[in-house]
Amino acid sequence: MVNYGGDEVSALVLDIGTSSTRAGYAGDDTPKAIIPTSYGVVPSPDTDAQMGDTNQTAERRQVYLGHSGPSLWRANMEIHNPIVDGLIQDFNPIPALIRHAFEDTMRCSPSEHPVLVTEPAWNTPANRERMAEIMFEEFQVPAFYIANTGVLNTFAAGKGSALVIDIGQSMASVVPVVDGFVLRKGLAQSTLPQLVHAAARQLLTNPTQTRHPIDLSPHQLIASKQPVEPNAPPKYTLREDRVSVTSQSWRTWAENREVEEWVQSVAGVLDQGWNDQSAAMRPPRQYEFPTGFNPWFGPERFQIGEQFFWNSPQTMASPNPPRIIPNLISDSLRACEPELRQVLMGNVVLTGGGSLFAGFADRLANEMMRSFPHTKVHAPGNPIERRYGGWLGGSILASLGTFHQLWISREEWQEHGTAIVGQRCK
Amino acid sequence: MAASIADVRSALSISAPSPSTPGPSQLKKQPSQSIRKPEGISRELYSLIGPSAPTLAAQLAKPRLKQKPNLGGGGKVKWEWRTFKNSARTDSLELGHWVKANSDPNAEYTFAKYNVQHTVYSWTQDEYTRYLQDPEWTPEESQYLFKLAVEYDLRWYIIHDRYHYPTGVTRELEDLKDRYFSICRKLVRNRPWNGDETSKNQLLASFSFDKEREQLRKKYVANLENRNPEQVQEEEALYLEVKRLEQNERKFKREREELLRTLAGIDSGLPDIVEDEATFFTVDTSKLQKKKNRGTDLDSPSVSSAPSVTKRAPVVKDPVEDAKHCIIRTELSATTPATKAAHTPAYMRSFKLPYPKAAIAPRVTQVLSELGISPSRLVMPTRDNCQRLESLMDEATTLVELKKAVDKVIQDIEVTKARLDLRETEGEEPARHPETDLEMDERGTIEPEGEDGRAQSVVSTRSTRSRKHSRRSMSVSSVDTTATSSARPATKRQKRG
Repeated sequence: MVNYGGDEVSALVLDIGTSSTRAGYAGDDTPKAIIPTSYGVVPSPDTDAQMGDTNQTAERRQVYLGHSGPSLWRANMEIHNPIVDGLIQDFNPIPALIRHAFEDTMRCSPSEHPVLVTEPAWNTPANRERMAEIMFEEFQVPAFYIANTGVLNTFAAGKGSALVIDIGQSMASVVPVVDGFVLRKGLAQSTLPQLVHAAARQLLTNPTQTRHPIDLSPHQLIASKQPVEPNAPPKYTLREDRVSVTSQSWRTWAENREVEEWVQSVAGVLDQGWNDQSAAMRPPRQYEFPTGFNPWFGPERFQIGEQFFWNSPQTMASPNPPRIIPNLISDSLRACEPELRQVLMGNVVLTGGGSLFAGFADRLANEMMRSFPHTKVHAPGNPIERRYGGWLGGSILASLGTFHQLWISREEWQEHGTAIVGQRCK
Repeated sequence: MAASIADVRSALSISAPSPSTPGPSQLKKQPSQSIRKPEGISRELYSLIGPSAPTLAAQLAKPRLKQKPNLGGGGKVKWEWRTFKNSARTDSLELGHWVKANSDPNAEYTFAKYNVQHTVYSWTQDEYTRYLQDPEWTPEESQYLFKLAVEYDLRWYIIHDRYHYPTGVTRELEDLKDRYFSICRKLVRNRPWNGDETSKNQLLASFSFDKEREQLRKKYVANLENRNPEQVQEEEALYLEVKRLEQNERKFKREREELLRTLAGIDSGLPDIVEDEATFFTVDTSKLQKKKNRGTDLDSPSVSSAPSVTKRAPVVKDPVEDAKHCIIRTELSATTPATKAAHTPAYMRSFKLPYPKAAIAPRVTQVLSELGISPSRLVMPTRDNCQRLESLMDEATTLVELKKAVDKVIQDIEVTKARLDLRETEGEEPARHPETDLEMDERGTIEPEGEDGRAQSVVSTRSTRSRKHSRRSMSVSSVDTTATSSARPATKRQKRG
């Protein structure tokens, strides 16, 4: 059992991200429970009468979590996401979410296992203390630890020091990690993925010379459709009974999912920078939307990925454009000691589901090679490792024998209170 | 009548049927009758060959599965879920893990030993006022620095990253390190030391920190990184160019040395010339080949490379130097066209040793060998010796020719005399005297010269041999005497010494 310094104490690892929440046993290589972080809420019919009393409203509304939560259509169901820009903004649904992950999906009781929770590098002290409180007070965990996703991604890549480039669903961040500690001064993050998503949505919903705006209605709202020729207008009928009672937030959520799916299967980025010719050389790709509309997408599909590396004039015109990836990297490195830069550039870890964007890793390597010839990018080929790198690192950390002295125990929590969190989890 | 076949047999006293024709009933009986089938033989085979199975086959063990490795512990290992206390923790947290049931339940937690703490230095107020004063640092901030240093285990990058002291002075990484190490140094130096001096010095050395140097180094690193791509490229190109030039230089030098060695041998004055047999032999054979090919392939590299040396020679023409190194230059006449064929390459003096005329060569050789000189081989073909040999050869040729003439004349005289005798028998005496006079005369005039030449040459050869020699002539002589003599190495060794 002492192989590689591992000593499993059957700890649980919880990684809450914008798109999904991952939970599993430390020592595993894949999380046991991967559930969407978004949840659906159906207000009970009589809430309007008692709007004043929030407690009663909370009791009456029905929350739908997990795989059959937001993705199942329900009349008037609103979709919420507790995470804003990577940070937990709304802690109310978090206990329910954790309970669903641990008790309903993994069928285990968190009160019997030490729990390691992850946090983004820019998490606030108040947030992590709140998380500790939830774990100790609501779930009665025997021990708790909160670790940084940047550090965990470094560990998942088998390194101690690295420059972690994490592209999530809502945030892109560059985190320098040295000896298992985040250099807070070098932290750089931006809402770039949201911009890319918006660009993709715009591309699909705006008409072009050859194409009408695309209806992104999800399959839940479509009653019937007929096969049509490529690029021909779709023939489908909507489920009118549902359309009228569909909430706007569910519709947005569902349409975003369609956009996300399109991005994942069609969009890409050229590996050598934008070039009309090479974009035209790449083969077009066909994609069928739930309405049955199945057009071919040519060079336009590569414009989406450019948003990661190049600010278009429109975004530059906006008051506060999100920083692009090369800027994030250079800002982060500038804040680091000059002699650390060499080390960090030799250990670049690319992680996060957004980094699976087609061609992204190659393009990033090329961009970095231009300014740092000795760059080495570690990008796991296995999509599980890439998407759940933070969880994987937590799984590694929580099963190390030397780590067990770092747990915040119940006893310590009761003795020191919230102060112990900042003291222990540096 | 229920008599069986056996009864009939016993009545007729016929023995039981032989096993070669067994009835169906006997087949069943047979296994019980026979002795136990030995292991390692299949049943069918055994029933065919019976108990007369070869002993070897009987000894063969029945094929079995490979034996399972015995990994110690003997059989099953029991694991049990046990809670443990980590001695690296200050609280009473008990975590559980699976351990082998036979392990010691009271043993120290295996990973607790990795919890290594640095020695923490602290000071009293008195010590601070006496030794640790620094105008830039307050005692509180120094304390804060030490607290961080302990908290982050002296990981300076992290300490610097997390350093937020409310006074608002931004401190560089070097400032922090400098302060920390200087305090440690001062404390170690001024506190009573129990151990020996060397360990104290070692400790002090581990605390040494040169702030200026670190800053300078960091500046260099930053400069190195701030180069723009063009600069980096240029630098790389320059570096490659330098490498290439160096390589060219080395190659050129090597080729030049090779050439010099081939052409001039030890004459080249190269310091690292190797004077061993092998090289000389290879050089010699190549020389011989060249000699052979001289007429045919003038364009072969070995020949064409020669002019390059002589061509260079006029550039450094210096009579004093030439004299010193015994270099003799053959001046080309201005009218000679400067073609390869017309060019006289550098040659070995020994190549140009005089040869006697083919008709009288045997005689001349004979004369020389009488004198103890080999015309084709000069041990020391110095310029003088060559000249002497040449003159000697000339003399010898003259002598031989004169002798021939004299013999002819004597023959003529003999014939005439005989004729005369036939005519008249008197008048013999007066005719004879002049001839002997002539003979004596000739001998008198020639011999001393020849004697003198021989003596000189022998003397010069002997004297040069005994002398310590300039290397130059040695190689030339060796070139000359390549394939022939076995005495050569000996002479050379002698000369080398």
